[in-house]
Amino acid sequence: MNNLIMIFISMALVNNFVLARFLGLCPFFGVSKKLSSAFSMGIAVTLVMLIASIVTWVINNYILIPYGVEYMNIIMYILVIAALVQIIELFIKRTNLTLYNALGIFLPLITTNCAVLGITLINAKESFTLVESIVASLGGGLGFMLVLVIMSGIREKLNLADTPRAMKGLPIAMLVGMMLGLTFFGFGGIV
Amino acid sequence: MVTVIIILTSVALVLGILIFVVNRVVPVKVKGIEKTEAIAELLPGMNCGACGQPGCFAFAQALTVNPDLMAQGKCAVVLQDEEKCEALQDCRGITLDTAEMSKKALIHCNGNSEVMHDYTGVETCKGAALLLKGYKKCFYSCLGFGDCQKACPHDAISIRNENGVAVVDAEKCTGCGLCVAECPKDLIELVPVSAQVTLLCNYGQLKDIPGREKCDFGCIHCRKCFKSCEFDAIVWDKERAMPEFDIAKCTACYKCVEVCPNQTLAELLKPATIQA
Repeated sequence: MNNLIMIFISMALVNNFVLARFLGLCPFFGVSKKLSSAFSMGIAVTLVMLIASIVTWVINNYILIPYGVEYMNIIMYILVIAALVQIIELFIKRTNLTLYNALGIFLPLITTNCAVLGITLINAKESFTLVESIVASLGGGLGFMLVLVIMSGIREKLNLADTPRAMKGLPIAMLVGMMLGLTFFGFGGIV
Repeated sequence: MVTVIIILTSVALVLGILIFVVNRVVPVKVKGIEKTEAIAELLPGMNCGACGQPGCFAFAQALTVNPDLMAQGKCAVVLQDEEKCEALQDCRGITLDTAEMSKKALIHCNGNSEVMHDYTGVETCKGAALLLKGYKKCFYSCLGFGDCQKACPHDAISIRNENGVAVVDAEKCTGCGLCVAECPKDLIELVPVSAQVTLLCNYGQLKDIPGREKCDFGCIHCRKCFKSCEFDAIVWDKERAMPEFDIAKCTACYKCVEVCPNQTLAELLKPATIQA
């Protein structure tokens, strides 16, 4: 149990996907303009991470390791994640159009999100068990969502602030990202 | 080697079959989606984003809820295509005044202003405009780095290199208006497609006359065009000292083009001064 909590906190805060591992930076800047879309992006990423890490754990342990072809994991995971996201998208589109609209363009975008591929590769590298993988992916996804929501909250306020003209928009967002990164380094001593 | 190929192929095969099965098993019928898809068929499908929605399908969804959006002229591209436009009107039970609503972009500059100094900075109009209001003598001149060209999803804008001015191809332009906000000099205007004459100058200051010192083809505020028009199609804008065109009254006689001493006025389809 202690171990699981450790993994969760490590994934969510200390080794945060965006601010410490620098994975999934495109949604960090691209989808952090509005709080609502940042929130739905975070949920979508967490969901896909969770499912992807379960499936890739199965594939890793029952296909790749027994045949000794672990070096194939990147291409295998890309294939599996892409297909999975397709299936999930299909499913959501047919069953719940409101949710589909809320997730909108984000779901297909996640297909090529490095954070999702990252969690599966980290799981494989650390040789986590199934439960550990699930906890790690939940922690990673929620940490990703946390950063995205914080960032979008700040950026919404930044729109109202008196920013110098040359710094408006992305430049000031980069600076805010830098400061967020520094604050998250404060978690470094926990684990 | 062989095992790897077999494993990868079989996994891909399984996933393909899985997608196929899910596609078949999950019911297709979703309330309202047929209507949206029918509308999406009629939209241009180039996802230019000028309507303010993230793509054509999103716009179709918004249209399903609120058919009035089309009447507000949100999608300029579909207005160009009569067939699709009519089908869309039938589909949503609305009538559109296409002649009134379809527009095209015009760039009010002939680019003939003299170059004041060399500019070697960032190669965008917005960047060049920050430094001394641009590198040309005329503050209102097109800077020709093509910010509008980059914004155009239909490839309708080109830069004439000899005098560094952006020119809109009236055939290709759909009037989506994405370029208008890009121009740091506010040179681009959306006019009804029926417009025949254009003023290739934006120098709206009374203080000095660009025709004398800044640009060989600038408007010199002589009002000849205004006086020559027999159909009251030209209104004199006293604030900016420039002619304004009443498109509905214009009969395309081009008398104003003939009398213009500086060739600032041009026939729209044959921008003579620019080609020269």
